[in-house]
Amino acid sequence: MSDETAHDILLSARGLVRDFGPFRAVDGVDLDVRSGTIHSVIGPNGAGKTTLFRLLTGILRPTAGSLEFAGEQLAGRPTHVVARRGIVQAFQTTSIFPRLTAHESVCAALVSKHRRSRDLITWFHRGLAGEASQVLETVGLSDVADEQARALSHGDQRALEVALALAMSPRLLLLDEPTAGMSPFESHKMVQLVQRLAKEEQLTVILSEHDMDTVFGISDRVSVMHQGRVLADGPAPEVRRNADVMAIYLGSEA
Amino acid sequence: MSTYGHLDTDAHDVDPPGPDTRSARPAPASRTVLLRRATAPVALTAVMFLLAFTLGSTTLVTMQEVLAFAVFATATNLLLGQAGLVSFGQAVFFGIGSYTVALGWLHWQLPFWATFVLAPFVGALVAIPIGLVALRARKLYFALSTLAFSELAYQLAESRYNFTKGANGVFGPFVPTALTQPRTGYLFLLAVTVVSLLLLWKVNHSPFGLVLRAIRENRERVQALGVNVYLHQVAAFVISGAFCALAGAMFVIYSQSGYPELLDWTTSGWPVFMAVIGGMGTFLGPALGALIYQFGHDQLVLYFSDWQLVLGAVLLVIVMFWPDGLMGALARLGGVIRRWWKGRR
Ligand SMILES: Nc1ncnc2c1ncn2[C@@H]1O[C@H](COP(=O)(O)OP(=O)(O)O)[C@@H](O)[C@H]1O
Ligand SMILES: [Mg+2]
Repeated sequence: MSDETAHDILLSARGLVRDFGPFRAVDGVDLDVRSGTIHSVIGPNGAGKTTLFRLLTGILRPTAGSLEFAGEQLAGRPTHVVARRGIVQAFQTTSIFPRLTAHESVCAALVSKHRRSRDLITWFHRGLAGEASQVLETVGLSDVADEQARALSHGDQRALEVALALAMSPRLLLLDEPTAGMSPFESHKMVQLVQRLAKEEQLTVILSEHDMDTVFGISDRVSVMHQGRVLADGPAPEVRRNADVMAIYLGSEA
Repeated sequence: MSTYGHLDTDAHDVDPPGPDTRSARPAPASRTVLLRRATAPVALTAVMFLLAFTLGSTTLVTMQEVLAFAVFATATNLLLGQAGLVSFGQAVFFGIGSYTVALGWLHWQLPFWATFVLAPFVGALVAIPIGLVALRARKLYFALSTLAFSELAYQLAESRYNFTKGANGVFGPFVPTALTQPRTGYLFLLAVTVVSLLLLWKVNHSPFGLVLRAIRENRERVQALGVNVYLHQVAAFVISGAFCALAGAMFVIYSQSGYPELLDWTTSGWPVFMAVIGGMGTFLGPALGALIYQFGHDQLVLYFSDWQLVLGAVLLVIVMFWPDGLMGALARLGGVIRRWWKGRR
């Protein structure tokens, strides 16, 4: 409890709603994410996790609700503005640049971060090569830096996906099911990476995940979603003890 | 099922790791690599220069046309190959480039050199509103709206007789006599082509160029990385428009006239064909495509009355079997030969 007050609230969502036609995918979600924590959003498939993430990054406009990030109102702002403020997402469905190499891909992100995308004259990796190598090193892709992204293994593509987000030096990193489709070994590496980032880089992370053991192993706080609503929310051990939540989650999972 | 890539230590043996591979990447800035990369283009330029003194007048005049189209196709390929934007409206700018020279002379007695320099700026200026409108749409709808702009420009040029001389076009002695000589004309156009391609090549390898390629690969992702995709595409459209207009001004040295057909959608189709034939994924492919199209087209017309049908078939085959066009096929062949040569030594 004591460390709860030690962290400032970085992101605060109130009453977020998103409708798809008559269907309400996100139904009045409140979310407080404290600076420097790993905050997980769990829930069965279709609970609305991905939709919630897309609202946080501005890919989708909320039907209603507010979103405050570091003291600024961000609801309804376009993605590129939200990204500039420091909310960056690694996508659930790997979303990379198939015919760019891993190195070029990270350079593209760095070019954006350093606001050099209007530079028509210099070499694109001028002054970025070192930083790009560092990012690739962090996610363990140094050896495949010059491979085209489409030629990478699934695990490496996921790592590249995270690298693209990391290159932006985000204040808040959103990871939508980062271990989806991974082998146990790859997934273990990913979890270690996320933990290391949170600890060493003081990153704030929002993570969605369906594997319960992974979630409770690394999260500071957990929000449980079901049918678009947050059913429970609190420090990880507390949520884990909440028998109702477990019943609903496991029940609908079965 | 999944291959573990870098986790598999044996995998390295194909491509020895170590300081070499790592230091090779920032290398394009280093002098030796730059020199090695420059060899082929410099040699090519030298050959093109020598051609001025070996080719006959008729061929030199055709080569003038080839050079104008090489710039036209390379500029179009900034959109097509680099940004992944299929435009069927680049003739608008090509035509505007020609008309800038012709109408500048007709109405204001502007000297050729002034209008020649002015042409790319006029092209860029016109490309701004067209780009802003056309790029609101995606993919097919973008292609269709550029096509519509091409048709609109054609209709305007044809119907405004008092300003443009309508369907007849503008003829006159507006090209300096020195440039009407096949050899001088060719050499001048060669110089302009080399400079234009160098500039476009630089753009290709700039941060802007990289972002364009990233947008081509995955637009949403680039947006999520904080880039305003729309504005970058508009910028690419404007740059392309400027160079297409320059190509149009170059074309005037060959045609010594400006006429409405230069603006219409069939003319817009040419640089797209050339880029596809030569290879959209390569930098010099479109220029090679211009050469092949221009000479191949003359042969086709000789032997086939339905030459457009033949051209269509050729394009289909290329798109299906050589997505990187002839240049890509040549590069692969070069790779095979190099490996064979290494193996022998
Ligand atoms: N673009 C969309 N259009 C219509 N329905 C959607 C759309 N995106 C998501 N949904 C629906 O919203 C619900 C929540 O989906 P999602 O956010 O992907 O859940 P989760 O990520 O938790 O599995 C699902 O029922 C899904 O079918
Ligand atoms: Mg999901």
